[in-house]
Amino acid sequence: MSNTQTITKYIVREFLPDVEASDLPPDYDLLRNGVIDSLALLRVVDWIAAEFDVSIEDLDLSPDNFRTVENIDALVASAKS
Amino acid sequence: MTETLAGAVNRLARSQPAAPALIWQDTVVSYGELAQGMRAAAAGVATLPAGPIGVNAKKSARAVTFVLGCLAAGRTVVLPSPTLPPETLDALFERAGAGAVVDADGLARFTDGDAEPSEVDVPFMLTTSGSTGVPKLVPLPAQGIERFTRWVHDEFDVGPGRRVLNYAPLNFDLCLFEIWATLRHGGCAVLVDPEIAADCDTLLAFLEETQPHVVQAVPLFYQLLTEAAGGTHTLPSVAHVIFTGDAMNPHRLPPLRDLFPHSRFHNIYGCTETNDSFRYELDPTDERRETLPLGEPLPGVRADLVADGEILTGPGVGELVVRTPFQSSGYHNNPSAAFGPHPALDDGEQYFRSGDLVRRTENGEYFLEGRADFRVKVRGQQVYLQHVEEVVLAAEGVVEAAAVAVPDVHAGRRLHVVVRRREGCKLNSLVLKKFLAERLPPAAVPSTLHIGPDPLPRTSTGKVDRQFLVNSQKR
Repeated sequence: MSNTQTITKYIVREFLPDVEASDLPPDYDLLRNGVIDSLALLRVVDWIAAEFDVSIEDLDLSPDNFRTVENIDALVASAKS
Repeated sequence: MTETLAGAVNRLARSQPAAPALIWQDTVVSYGELAQGMRAAAAGVATLPAGPIGVNAKKSARAVTFVLGCLAAGRTVVLPSPTLPPETLDALFERAGAGAVVDADGLARFTDGDAEPSEVDVPFMLTTSGSTGVPKLVPLPAQGIERFTRWVHDEFDVGPGRRVLNYAPLNFDLCLFEIWATLRHGGCAVLVDPEIAADCDTLLAFLEETQPHVVQAVPLFYQLLTEAAGGTHTLPSVAHVIFTGDAMNPHRLPPLRDLFPHSRFHNIYGCTETNDSFRYELDPTDERRETLPLGEPLPGVRADLVADGEILTGPGVGELVVRTPFQSSGYHNNPSAAFGPHPALDDGEQYFRSGDLVRRTENGEYFLEGRADFRVKVRGQQVYLQHVEEVVLAAEGVVEAAAVAVPDVHAGRRLHVVVRRREGCKLNSLVLKKFLAERLPPAAVPSTLHIGPDPLPRTSTGKVDRQFLVNSQKR
């Protein structure tokens, strides 16, 4: 099951509070466009662990996995499997 | 022989009694009327307890007249912002040793009598823009003010037949130029009512009606005018446009050249303590620049860049240390390391350490890098908050912006930017972050953004209240 909606809502709520979730495409480059910086990355990781009940040790923390909502979704999926 | 401000107004009232001295709301005050009001106020002020006079009133023709009356009575005028909290004002007037404080209602009591102007050694005590605590008092000597008004007149002509716009509140140092130099030399000061200062359409209409020749104001003022003009208005009377008080973004020049088709453009740098110290005259090619240079030191100004206790002779960045013919002798009753001997030169003169970092380039141009205390470390990297602000201001739809470093549990500090966007504009953080990420190094891209329609909070002297922005971000 895809979690893109949940992830998009979280990103918008945390980092783009004045933006509608529908305005953030799942393939939008969050890193290159300044939405997520290295500091924000740590918060995203914390959130993923809590929200999807996965262990941080199971996550591949390379930045590319956080580049887009789609990539984060894939990261979550691989951690849960 | 030099003349006092009050003495000059008295003389001008004899030589050109009907000439306009002040334009205020719907009235024109002539030099004859101004001198009469000034002499009456001087007679009234003479009955007040000895010592400086505190003036706690907003700008008006009556307030200007009363200030002149105090000077004519030989009294120092203490002029803080009337928007300061009452306790702060009380503390300031007390520290200044004010014998009496006159508020807006009190001004009207001093309209009877006739006293000849006398002299005063320190005409004005202005204040710094401390955003927390009690601001410092800056006494300005008569000789310095006389030299400054002379420079203003020589450079921009504020004499008979000229109208000079005054946008700043009465307590701002900019009034030394716009009001006091103008009255000293016989021109007409066009006072912008603080009530309309933020209303761009009314402001533009006021300028079209009063047709000033000299306009000096902070960049925000020009931003408001540009918004109102929309490319369809011109102000052909203006011969000099002066940017001061803040960094002017060169990308905003083209619409101003349309609005002021016959004007020269100047960038002036200074502070309350020393008054103006650098001037730069713009040329059209500046629109390709990212920032405007400070230009040349004014006549009689010595300016050095000091780094690691030595005067920089080549290119580099240092703290600006200045001595101007206009400067204060030091804060009143408040010894400060900012005033004193040159940190790297033994010439027996008094200098002011500006706290501003200035860069000298290979070809000898000076650029303001920012306040020494506006240089912050974010995730281990140096970030100049003003550079960030300049880039934010270049984004479509941004009217005002401030960057601050906010304490953060995870990162030590994170960068936060507050933006006032143009009315009806759709700018949001997704668009702005993308814009910034394309133009700034990663550490300088703000972690958080607040974008809204509201003006930024300001201190009593009009600087963005950064401490307030930082405090409102601490959770």
